[in-house]
Amino acid sequence: MNPSNPPQAAEYGGDEVSAIVLDPGYSTTRAGFAGEDAPKSLIPTYYGKYNADGQEKLVFGDDVFVTPRPGLSIHNPIGKDGIVEDWDMAERVWEHSFTSRLTGTKAGNPFQNGLNDVSPDELPTEMEVESEEKPLSDSPLLMTEPGWNPAKAREKTIEIAMEKWDTPAFYLARSGVLAAFASGKASALVIDIGASNLSVTPIHDGMILKRGVQHSPLGGEYISSQIRAIFKANTPQPITITPHYLISSKSAVEAGQPAQAKYKTFPADKAPDASYRALLEERTLSEFKECVVQVWPGPTRLSAPSATGVSNEDMARTTPGRPFEFPDGYNQVFGVDRFRAVESLFDAKAAIPDPDSSFPPPTPAQTIPELVKASLAGVDVDLRPHLLANVVVTGGSSLLYGFTDRLNHELMQMFPGPRVRVTAPGNTSERRFGSWIGGSILASLGTFHQMWISKKEYEEHGPNIVEKRCK
Amino acid sequence: MPPFKDEHVLLIAPGSQMTLAQLGLPETFTPARFRFPTRMFPAEKKGEYEPYRVHERRQEVKVNNDTDAPKPDVEMKDAEPAAADGTTATETTVKTDENTQDNGDSTKTVEEVFYEEDPASDEGAIYPIENGRIVDWPCFFALLTHIHNTLSPPFHTPIMLIGQPVWSARDREAITQFVFEKFKAPAFSLMDSALAACYGYGTPTATVVDVGKGKVDVTAVTDFAVNEHGRGIALEGCGGDAMTDRLVELLGPKGFTREMCEQLKRSNITEILPPGTPLPGSSATARQGANPAAAASTGGSDGDESAPRGPGDGTQTGIEGDNGDEEEGVLDVAAIVSGNPTEYLANVEKEKTTTKKGAVDPKGARLPNSKKEKASFQFEEFVQLEGEKAAANGARQYIRHTRDIEVSVERFLLTSPRSKAGNRLTSGILEDIATQVHHTILAVPDATKRSELWDSLIIVGCGSKVKGFTQALLAVITQKFILSPSGTIFTSEIPSNFTTPLPTGANTPAPMGQPGPMYHPAAPGVNPLLVAATHNNPGMPGGMPGTPSMDPSMMSHHRSTGHSQTPTSVKTLKLPEYFPDFKDQGNSNAPGASSGGTPGAPGTSQGGHGMEEAVFLGAQMAAKVFFVIDQGLSKGYMSRVEYNESGPSAIHEYIL
Repeated sequence: MNPSNPPQAAEYGGDEVSAIVLDPGYSTTRAGFAGEDAPKSLIPTYYGKYNADGQEKLVFGDDVFVTPRPGLSIHNPIGKDGIVEDWDMAERVWEHSFTSRLTGTKAGNPFQNGLNDVSPDELPTEMEVESEEKPLSDSPLLMTEPGWNPAKAREKTIEIAMEKWDTPAFYLARSGVLAAFASGKASALVIDIGASNLSVTPIHDGMILKRGVQHSPLGGEYISSQIRAIFKANTPQPITITPHYLISSKSAVEAGQPAQAKYKTFPADKAPDASYRALLEERTLSEFKECVVQVWPGPTRLSAPSATGVSNEDMARTTPGRPFEFPDGYNQVFGVDRFRAVESLFDAKAAIPDPDSSFPPPTPAQTIPELVKASLAGVDVDLRPHLLANVVVTGGSSLLYGFTDRLNHELMQMFPGPRVRVTAPGNTSERRFGSWIGGSILASLGTFHQMWISKKEYEEHGPNIVEKRCK
Repeated sequence: MPPFKDEHVLLIAPGSQMTLAQLGLPETFTPARFRFPTRMFPAEKKGEYEPYRVHERRQEVKVNNDTDAPKPDVEMKDAEPAAADGTTATETTVKTDENTQDNGDSTKTVEEVFYEEDPASDEGAIYPIENGRIVDWPCFFALLTHIHNTLSPPFHTPIMLIGQPVWSARDREAITQFVFEKFKAPAFSLMDSALAACYGYGTPTATVVDVGKGKVDVTAVTDFAVNEHGRGIALEGCGGDAMTDRLVELLGPKGFTREMCEQLKRSNITEILPPGTPLPGSSATARQGANPAAAASTGGSDGDESAPRGPGDGTQTGIEGDNGDEEEGVLDVAAIVSGNPTEYLANVEKEKTTTKKGAVDPKGARLPNSKKEKASFQFEEFVQLEGEKAAANGARQYIRHTRDIEVSVERFLLTSPRSKAGNRLTSGILEDIATQVHHTILAVPDATKRSELWDSLIIVGCGSKVKGFTQALLAVITQKFILSPSGTIFTSEIPSNFTTPLPTGANTPAPMGQPGPMYHPAAPGVNPLLVAATHNNPGMPGGMPGTPSMDPSMMSHHRSTGHSQTPTSVKTLKLPEYFPDFKDQGNSNAPGASSGGTPGAPGTSQGGHGMEEAVFLGAQMAAKVFFVIDQGLSKGYMSRVEYNESGPSAIHEYIL
């Protein structure tokens, strides 16, 4: 099928009600209509909180990146392990993700207002007249969850969807399974590197193999902390990141020279919270990751000697550096350091020590090769070759330059026998939204209709039904 | 279905302030033929709306019994040709007094109820669109119906509506349903305003900054596909109103009304100076933005004398002692026709000659505006005609007063941060917009496109009409975001003979669908012909992103990392030359454009609409392509048949 042609409506099983697919992550929350190829709505899971006129105000969406506000502090309802911690706020953030672009705010039904009362005979279509003001009362909802989501959290999720949002049908799917679907595979070993977590999930025939699910905190934020450690130890001077909102203008300086920028100062009672600064620093760091950071391509580790006897690190030194300019105008060329930032994902010993970091030094068991090994050890021996032939890479942090090459080398070295085949979509958004796209495919399948948990079933069995139906 | 014709296409582009509409595509595309203020008035019957404010007036008139028609009706007929300002009595109720009838006398008293439309009033108006959002659906639909009725298109008319970015998917479905059910349209196309701007400029890739009344939208469009992620949608407090608000804040204490500030904003003495430009009259160190309070107070100290009195005052003396007030430009033909024309005109003429004098400060006449500490603009307002002339037939009549008002350096400060900014910490709207542009472009997944996006800024929307807006915005972006050459000198973009790798980590053996601009997966509806015509990229050779990369020799020629930082430069795009009507950037001081008094009934197209309406130009181009040239091949519109089959939600497959 040509991807440029959207599937015809008839292929959805003639269903005109499009389900909403909600893929909540640690860093971003994705939402969109099933059957589309990318989520229409992408908002940060972070939200801002500040006081104005004696009232507490909340900021959702991209606005937190754009407008600094007095005393703004940044929070995230999802914990570092990818499990929701603050349910009230998670509900608000998720609700914003689909009301902002998809369903509209609770504006009520536009068809039951004055205009159509005037001439009802002119509008022959049947409109359900609903007095409900809940945001999802006419869309089924498919949500994703990490493979290690506890039963309590799953029940809470369906409770919110059914009772707060009033969705007529609901399903909760594992993000790993969906990422495999997005790559067109029913059995796969999914390696997902997100913002807060690195996870390995074995999937067989569309079912998650729970004993093989492995995860560690070596995600995008960990890489950021490694970059910060590099900045701290930087020569000629340690680099501090000053986000754009603190700078009123900058002027060009030579590489390595101290920045000459005009800074903005805010009075102490107005200055945004440190968490706001951290969020915006993170944004500069992600630009740094895009532009500079690179994974040592292998085949051997960065610390190992290469075939010619020269150490890989010296090899890396000979490659041309990559320049980067910080918001305050400071710029520098980064040489071998840009390889070191991610090396510890593969080699725990290569981690850059930083006593101030909130991340403890990684243990060898947290690295990707060890996670894959542990994951495979948890599944049936007969399945292992099949899984290794279907390794699916997804998640935003997997976009790091050269990541898939290195992963391929590592896996081939570790499992020399069976055929290792790494599948990674080349398209950026397919990689970032892998599990959302899988959900979009799943929810638009005609055969999926029997899988939905309907509102009636929920009312009959209670939230526990999610454990029985969404395996 | 018979093919659509040029002259049958109906275009509607709703905005918070003004809704542009046009029936038919002219030979060469021109600014919109019709502009409707985006507002309706509640009619007597609940749930119905009128396009104008309707007054009810009762009047007792004595008439001769033996005349067949009551006299006021004759006057009505006189007034009707003047319908340009809509003064029309719609109904006359005649109540006959029984007692006088008995006399057999020739006179009787008649009480009449006049319903008259008052085009200049916006009292009680409902604005269905606020900051791009549709806040009042019945009113919005009534406006669409009013526009549809006014233009009265033939039956076989495809409709193209320009959608605001902020409309949600459900909103779009509701509009689709309305258009098909109510207008019985054979075909409907809902096009994103940012994409329309790109069509207008004839470019597949651009960053569109749409400065509206109360909001700003910033959209990155790549290969005719709108990037929804990171898009700046309806940034509030950044539009034209924010600038007026700032002027009101600065000048309000000096007696300026909001309407004055609005006209001052539109006048050609108001200018946004690039950051760092010293204000005239103040010391060179006082910079715009950096020290607005001080600059404002400079103006305040000498501005007291020139503080205008309330509107309608008529006379106004500037500090140089010129009697700059004039009363001219008789607006209301009805005033002449139904009043005492010769006497009236003579009066006006007399006043003019006695008061008219040189109104220009001789010293500052040669200086450019940005160097003058003071300048004056012509303030126009409508004053209701009073006295017996007006009362003669009871219809409200207005006369246009013009007078000069002098302003000091405040006129350069309209984008400086408001002192009561509330909950923002940024320094002014330009910085907000610049930050949003940076955020939006950084969110574009295809990093190789970002540099091009920075170099193709499109600034549309009437808020951007203020002199110097574009230059000042570019200057703010430059000083905040442009990378210094030393940081980028090593990273000049890859030589063009190499293919462009996709941003990061793209070198995997994954099979890809056909890449390349022609088949952008996010834009199923893009017309390949248009892409091919406007696309100057060499196009990516098939399969490039999927080339096997396990081969270490790849390292030798791909760039050491994914891409380099942006922006190294920032530029605006030029509007194509071949639409001369869009060339002139209007800076009209026409009061009609302001919220207060729109005298022109729809149909009076005011001059001076230029490139800020490129969205409408794009809409015409797109309509031409989708409806007339392609006849549906490019899936640019949804036909009635498809609507009947799939319902309103199918519009998402056609949304552009």
